Amino acid sequence: MSRFSRRDFLITTAGAALASGMAGPALAGLETPKRGGTLIGTWGGFEPQSLFVPPGGGSSPYFTSTKVLERLIRLTVDLKFEPVLAVDIKPSADFKSYTIKLREGVTWHDGNAFTADDVVFNAMQYWKPISAGVSLDALEGAEAADPLTVVLKFKAPVPEFFLKSVLAGKSGLVIPKHIYAGSNIITNPINNAPIGTGPFKVKEWVRGSHVEYLRNEKYWNPGLPYLDRLVIRWWRDPASRAAAFEAGQLDIGTFNPIPMPDIARLTSGGKFIAETKGYSNSAWVTTIEFNQRREIFKKREVRQALMQAIDRQFIADTVFFGRARPSIGAVASSNSIFFTKDVQDYPFDVKKAEKILDAAGFPVKGGSRFKLSLVSAGWFEENIKIGQYVKQAFEDLDITVDLAVPDRATSLKRIYSDYDYDVAISNNSGSVELIPSTTQYYTTDGIVKGAAFRNATGYSNPKLDEIVAKMTVETDEPKRVALAKDFDRLATIEAPLLPMVDLEPVTIVRSDVRNHSATADFMGESWAELWLDR
Amino acid sequence: MLNLAIDFARRFARNRAALIGLLLVIVVVGVALAAPWLFPRNPLRIVGRPEIWPFVNSRYPLGTDSLGRDIAAMIAYGARTTLLIGLCASLTATLIGITIGATAAYFGGWIDEMLMRFTELFQTIPNLIFVLTIVSILGQKIEYVTVAVGIVTWTPIARLTRAEFMALRDREFVQACRAMGMGNLRIMLGEILPNALPPVIVLSSLVIAGAVLFESAVSFLGLGDPNVSSWGRLIGDGRTLIRTSWYICAVPGLAIMITVLALNLVGDGLNDALNPKLRDR
Repeated sequence: MSRFSRRDFLITTAGAALASGMAGPALAGLETPKRGGTLIGTWGGFEPQSLFVPPGGGSSPYFTSTKVLERLIRLTVDLKFEPVLAVDIKPSADFKSYTIKLREGVTWHDGNAFTADDVVFNAMQYWKPISAGVSLDALEGAEAADPLTVVLKFKAPVPEFFLKSVLAGKSGLVIPKHIYAGSNIITNPINNAPIGTGPFKVKEWVRGSHVEYLRNEKYWNPGLPYLDRLVIRWWRDPASRAAAFEAGQLDIGTFNPIPMPDIARLTSGGKFIAETKGYSNSAWVTTIEFNQRREIFKKREVRQALMQAIDRQFIADTVFFGRARPSIGAVASSNSIFFTKDVQDYPFDVKKAEKILDAAGFPVKGGSRFKLSLVSAGWFEENIKIGQYVKQAFEDLDITVDLAVPDRATSLKRIYSDYDYDVAISNNSGSVELIPSTTQYYTTDGIVKGAAFRNATGYSNPKLDEIVAKMTVETDEPKRVALAKDFDRLATIEAPLLPMVDLEPVTIVRSDVRNHSATADFMGESWAELWLDR
Repeated sequence: MLNLAIDFARRFARNRAALIGLLLVIVVVGVALAAPWLFPRNPLRIVGRPEIWPFVNSRYPLGTDSLGRDIAAMIAYGARTTLLIGLCASLTATLIGITIGATAAYFGGWIDEMLMRFTELFQTIPNLIFVLTIVSILGQKIEYVTVAVGIVTWTPIARLTRAEFMALRDREFVQACRAMGMGNLRIMLGEILPNALPPVIVLSSLVIAGAVLFESAVSFLGLGDPNVSSWGRLIGDGRTLIRTSWYICAVPGLAIMITVLALNLVGDGLNDALNPKLRDR
């Protein structure tokens, strides 16, 4: 079984490389992997609060926990689901129950066997109440038919792609029942040194510096992992990560580890590669959001006019040094299943924007049409520049703008708790599946005061809610795609918030590191297949 | 009065370094005042291609930053911000410092005890962290940055004023004033303060230089007012480009260095001019 999955893996990665016409590092999978060695990795962010944060906790704990904890399935770069702990997941004819066949011979790091009981525990005690949230609202029960078979039961039909996305997503990590049962999963101290089924075991976490993992000798996939040791180390500053690469102290860094202008300098010598694959299931965008609690922005024409006033190509080229693209519609263009070009377009046109504002009843009076407060979230350095550019773009329409770029905590509070902004610039990352990661910014049930990265504009439209509700229970994939396109078209015309640019995150990696970036969310992959050609 | 001023000027001029400092300060003030005429457009406007090096394009003598904004314009307008914050913060600090120092020394006893403990409380908090805290609580407005810098820099002034007042409060001329029945406030402001002021003025001039540095640090860390141009912010924005376009950091860095140096030299000159005996010794 495991041999099959490995061959399958190699075929899919090679296929992806050929399909994209790129002789990238993924092709290196055709060479014979070498065993051994230590890999030092990092990402473009900080140390996590805990190695594993059960409710989520952002990218940092996701990065550290996924080397230890695995999921039932995973999503490849060409968006096919691949077996990990489950060998097969099949829906019933009415899509109200799913049968999961588990892999044989999997053990936890402490020697206990992985069985159907673990999955039942995860489904009912961890995924539904803690990690998946509304995604598993319809889940009614889970039972173990035999030690390697689990049946999940739902009250309503659940689309196959949707359920598999949840299981392969950030919330689908499988935790051991024998350790968590009867305890508070969120506060269990084992989260600082999690026990899983994955290819790496936690050796030690030196706070403020790094976490060290050792090879799991009893990993279910014989021969894997290739590495003997994996170290994840954190730096606070992008420039110092660039220096660490050059000093040979760092092998791989995911999610924009170094300053954009340094990428060309570092990769020009051939010693390092800038890899853009491996992010299709976490499509990052920079959004502009119009607070619907303000009279001005209740007018759709005003929102559309302001969209037209922004030169998004400029943001992509100058602020992101070309590592971003102007967004088209509400669904990211990297989403090869649900993306559509057939949406309202907002080309950069100041004259037209002025005309729309004049017609909408906001002519220039005393040198200004109206005054607005612009809050640009200060968690990314680029947002400072985008804020300054957007301020200027609005001022060109004779709008008076008061810009603020608060720090992370204040930005979260002003945008998502206090709704204390007229126009906001924020970010989010969506999975390929649109529910709820993309739709929650537009639907009425996405308005949750204080919950970060939801519908903060207060936009509510029954027509849009209805489309999303239909999508939630539509099990026919082509029909579902059609509904997603309806959603995209409506959201884009309405424009309560819209992505301005799709970011193109980069992994910086030494050229002797092989077999990386082959899945849809590489940063959250187990890294068992990575090997060093040294 | 005129003689006194000439005397003061002569003593100040004896210190050559101070003269140079004064000249530099005048240049910076001149640039700040002339900014709207030199650069009629909003300095934060994107005007050209990003990352044009200095002395390459005559339209942008100091080059453009990573967004394509004219660095020369930002430096000129940044001088206004910097000087304004420096002066206002120094004024705030001096007012607080003199009030607390004078009250403590003049009344003595438990008032002195209390005010000095209060001063020590402020002295023990790391300055920069205190400024950042105040700014992040009040918000990113230039007024708040000024207030914050004023609040953290008044303690040395208070201590100096207190020492000067202690030395003066029991002198004969003060006792004579008391015997004549003058009120406390009048003695403090009218009699003691003018005599205690010279060293305080010197210190206040140095506080301006400190305030410039604080403002730069706050802006560098991205907590300054994004609606105005500032030298520190320019350095902070240019930080990621330091390996390729280092001039974006270097130009405002040079401006800060020259201004702070000039203010310190002027402070030295003032010290010489106001405390002539000290110098001759």
